[in-house]
Amino acid sequence: MIPEWLSEKDNYIPKEEKNLYIEKSIFSLIKTISIIRQSKSQDKLVYLLNPTLKMVSTILNIVFISLSRSFIYLSVVGIYVLVNLFLMEKRSRKRILIRSLIFPFITLIALIPSMFNGNVYNSLLLFQKIITTILLMNLLSHNTKWSDISKSLKLLFIPDIFIWIMEITIKYIVLLGEYSINLLYALKLRTIGKTSNKYNSLTGIMGNLFIKSYKMSEEMFHAMECRGFVGEYTTKMNFNFKKIDYIYIIINMLLISLFIYFN
Amino acid sequence: MHIPDNYLSPSTCAIFGVVMLPIWRRASVKVKSEITRQKMPLLGVAAAFSFLIMMFNIPLPGGTTGHAIGGALIAILLGPYSAVFAVTIALAIQALFFGDGGILAIGVNCFNMAFIMPFTAFYLFKLMKKIIPSKKGEYLGAFLGGYISVNIAALVTAIEFGVQPLLFKDSSGLPLYSPYGLSVSIPAMTIPHLLVVGILEGIITLGAYSYIKKASPEIIYKGKTNKIKPLYIIIGILILVTPLGLLANGTAWGEWGTEEIKNFIGFVPKGMEDGFNFKALIPDYSLGNVQEYLGYIISALLGVIIILIIFKILSKININRNKKGE
Repeated sequence: MIPEWLSEKDNYIPKEEKNLYIEKSIFSLIKTISIIRQSKSQDKLVYLLNPTLKMVSTILNIVFISLSRSFIYLSVVGIYVLVNLFLMEKRSRKRILIRSLIFPFITLIALIPSMFNGNVYNSLLLFQKIITTILLMNLLSHNTKWSDISKSLKLLFIPDIFIWIMEITIKYIVLLGEYSINLLYALKLRTIGKTSNKYNSLTGIMGNLFIKSYKMSEEMFHAMECRGFVGEYTTKMNFNFKKIDYIYIIINMLLISLFIYFN
Repeated sequence: MHIPDNYLSPSTCAIFGVVMLPIWRRASVKVKSEITRQKMPLLGVAAAFSFLIMMFNIPLPGGTTGHAIGGALIAILLGPYSAVFAVTIALAIQALFFGDGGILAIGVNCFNMAFIMPFTAFYLFKLMKKIIPSKKGEYLGAFLGGYISVNIAALVTAIEFGVQPLLFKDSSGLPLYSPYGLSVSIPAMTIPHLLVVGILEGIITLGAYSYIKKASPEIIYKGKTNKIKPLYIIIGILILVTPLGLLANGTAWGEWGTEEIKNFIGFVPKGMEDGFNFKALIPDYSLGNVQEYLGYIISALLGVIIILIIFKILSKININRNKKGE
């Protein structure tokens, strides 16, 4: 039988709670995971280029942008980046634009006092450089498979072990991210109103996440050993160029010669 | 604290990249000798952990939220060399795939967040544990490790920003890169870190550490070495850069002389007119005729020595107290 006190109606109105930070955390985790998970196997032009080539030319472009002092060269690179942006798929185009614009504009605002002191040209140049670089980097990460990018790092004399650890990291960001989303949801569902220990729970979640990751890494090692892993990891790069890759090389050579011409 | 490309000159980025090379090299040697093959995947998973820590939003007074860096926490949990690895990889992923922090500036970012921060945090934690060998000391060490390490990293970042306009100018004397000098960049970086970010980092380091300590203490890094030499190296670097203050035109924020106050607010408050000058032991941090730069370095050295002596005395007192307790 149900005791009487249980069937009595209760008028409990919890104090208005501030859950924003939990929601924000969940949101930023979901955003990260969805970026990692998005498919990059479209048949649009920019997705088909050789990844190693794309990576190398992006980094070269960034180096030349940061060395350049010429407004014309920077504008040409800017146009090139915008053309690239229009070749992207519609959804990622929007995402790249939003992601890349926020930071440069904050910078621009921070530069206003310096512009009042007469430093206008250099400030605008700085703004232009920052926006182009961030766009270039975001384009690369949105139109190339990440595993291909990390493999291409070998060209920069980065040791295989580092690349291997990086690949583990990317996979585990997804796994651990999902785990922590679940923990955060659990925290959100189980707390009503204002409680003082919610704040503690958040650091608890982080601690728990660490213990979980420790266990996961042990499991992973055993799984790898079972499959014959001996501690050596080698990566191979893809050097198969197609016609379109040669066109891409020519465009980038032109950009570099422009840099040499204007500086 | 992620510095994007083009804020710093390419040469600054290159220098810090070269500085990081031996650090990475030493870290990989150390990690190989410390970590069994069984734990190699742990580095990758720890990097993922350090990446995710930055995703957690913590409520701040005023209705906004912030996030911690987690460099201190990982250093305490896994040891400083593994932390160098884990944070470096987390930073590389952020730069390559998420556009946070520059590609060319990766050396600088790693120097600040993957070297200065974990090492300061770890050795401070060790030091506090030694001075106060109870649980309280550990927790205090975790908090201070987080608080101070993020502040030192912010200070180093501010110096990197601040020297740009002094070193790199165009033909008409206008700054090429980050235009604000040390007198602007240092307060702009350190004040928010001292007041908010540092406390956040400290609380998170302390909270997560105490949770893991309770739940599964066996996985916390113990480390064979009990030396705190590297802390001296970091202090040494900081001492050597103290003369940088001379490059700046202004005085440290809040340390104005009467004349500067007059410039700022137009008059000198009456009480300050004659009551303001007190005789410091080392006026203006310089020792008489000694060259100004050298004077700065010596003053910094003296300051550090005095602090070390105080700590030594404190630890002596504590050891005596513990002996009596037995």
